[in-house]
Amino acid sequence: MAPSRHAAPSAEEHLRRNTVGINKETVTNVSSTDFPGHFPGEDHAFSIEQFQSAFSIQFHRNEANDASFSLIGIDASLANAFRRILIAEIPTLAIEDVFIENNTSVIQDEVLAHRLGLIPFNGGREGIHNFLKWYKKPEAGEDPYANSFDWNTVRLELNITCTVNPDAAPTENDPLKAYNHAHVYARDIVFVPTGRQAEHFDGENAIRPVNPDILIAKLRPKQTINLAMHMHKGIGADHSKFSPVATASYRLLPLIHITRPILGADAKKFQKCFPEGVIGLETVTREDVSKPGSGYEGHLGELKAVVKDSMKDTVSREALRHAEFEGKVKLGRRRDHFIFSIESTGQWDSDELFLESVKHLKLKCKKLEQQVINMVQ
Amino acid sequence: MPREEYQVPTTSGGASAGAMTRGATGGERHDSRAVMTYICGDCGGNVTLSKDALVACPHCAGRVLYKERTKRMVQFEAR
Amino acid sequence: MPGRTKAQDDASSHDADMQDVPPSAQEEISQDAEMREDAEAEEEEEEEIETQRVRILPGSTDTAASFEFTDEGHTLGNALRYIIMKNPDVEFCAYSIPHPSEPKMNIRIQTYDGTAVNALKKGLSDLQDVCDVVAEKFWSERQSFNAEQGIER
Repeated sequence: MAPSRHAAPSAEEHLRRNTVGINKETVTNVSSTDFPGHFPGEDHAFSIEQFQSAFSIQFHRNEANDASFSLIGIDASLANAFRRILIAEIPTLAIEDVFIENNTSVIQDEVLAHRLGLIPFNGGREGIHNFLKWYKKPEAGEDPYANSFDWNTVRLELNITCTVNPDAAPTENDPLKAYNHAHVYARDIVFVPTGRQAEHFDGENAIRPVNPDILIAKLRPKQTINLAMHMHKGIGADHSKFSPVATASYRLLPLIHITRPILGADAKKFQKCFPEGVIGLETVTREDVSKPGSGYEGHLGELKAVVKDSMKDTVSREALRHAEFEGKVKLGRRRDHFIFSIESTGQWDSDELFLESVKHLKLKCKKLEQQVINMVQ
Repeated sequence: MPREEYQVPTTSGGASAGAMTRGATGGERHDSRAVMTYICGDCGGNVTLSKDALVACPHCAGRVLYKERTKRMVQFEAR
Repeated sequence: MPGRTKAQDDASSHDADMQDVPPSAQEEISQDAEMREDAEAEEEEEEEIETQRVRILPGSTDTAASFEFTDEGHTLGNALRYIIMKNPDVEFCAYSIPHPSEPKMNIRIQTYDGTAVNALKKGLSDLQDVCDVVAEKFWSERQSFNAEQGIER
């Protein structure tokens, strides 16, 4: 057993351990080291209370389809697990089967089917999350329609024919004016409720494309598209059309540490090396000058560079490219501060999605725990 | 990919195939008169031809005729 | 599925020879004494018939064991590894995915004290606790942020 002396590292040491160093051409101190036995005399054993006190969340924005928040005090493996689950394992509804009765357009059947699959849909939350269940594809020999019920399949139709517009001028070149229904948009897809879907998905809650202006195909007169579609639930790991997020990503909080003063014209140049709002310019005060060895002596009243908001930084390392800042600035990232950005495609709310992802990880562990118990019986 | 395999149209085979696939396709009938509609390559008009007819478009005398798209339903996976 | 070139029960060829590895906290044992058969549990008839997704790989002992998870990948593997490593009783913990085409994930746990299976169970349960804490904090932060910003959802 590791020794139980609980020596706590100083705040500086803690920051040093938590910082990933970003140098001109290398990245240093990448792996986490908070394991028992790595630092003799320190206790890094897992304790839920310690985790709870060290962990915090800060929201930056929370719109329906776009949420940005920080997870502070968590390890990369866990943050990454949440991100991976967000992308690949949260069930979503999307078009899976396309039954083409007639397609005389120039878009090939399979290309059309592929495009339809990628259209994101929206609908009543309660209906989609609770009423609709998984669909199991029937085995090769069975009747292909045996497993489709109102609680696992949603039917949509697309029937459109392009005709000549009699009211248009004879020399009209614009196909939108010369023909009717020359462009087939996602809004032309019709939802056909079956069974109990009529109650769950009526009015506001109808299954509809998130963006009705998605162009599916272009037609010319006498060309027609007649098809029916079945939607099922699936996960992103199976096909990316089932991914509920446009993308979910995180970045680590950038750290900019100005070790020696940057003054005057240098300070202005330094400010230009970073995006707007990251570096601010302030005047050197009497207080700064009075600190011995700070480097501000004799520069009372000059402009100095100060870090205002490092979160806005994109870490382009521009400052490391200039000789005048050599040795004056250290760039890094905080290893346990994750700034998540979740962009939902519309079927789930972004904040709901993260919660769902956490629940999913918990459920996964629960199921496996049971399996482990079974395994050793 | 089409879900159904292509079945060679025969008189006896056609009847049983028609019965099997009826529910899915909506029933393609095997017509012994073989009156088929084709699309003219030059003018785009519909051309009906019966067996042993001359291959020419009545409107524009073009001799390139295209077959129409099948009336059968085809299923695809949206992947 | 890619064809297997070796029989699955080829136990001894998977393990490194005990003399070549650095000194371990595990007891010196003769290879044949403690070798357990891979404990493939019979399919348990639960509410849904779930196939057994975790098994102990051959060559495992009480304190040093390799487990194979089916249908799991880096998502669970890395997270579980991190939590199990924070257990002071664990001498060694690592995970690997033997081949990217197969959905299998192996975790090896060697302990100073207590069984490897217990460490695995503790790891899974700790991970669930972490999820609880994260979910709770997330939801309360979200509520207060929404209240501050006047968002109604």
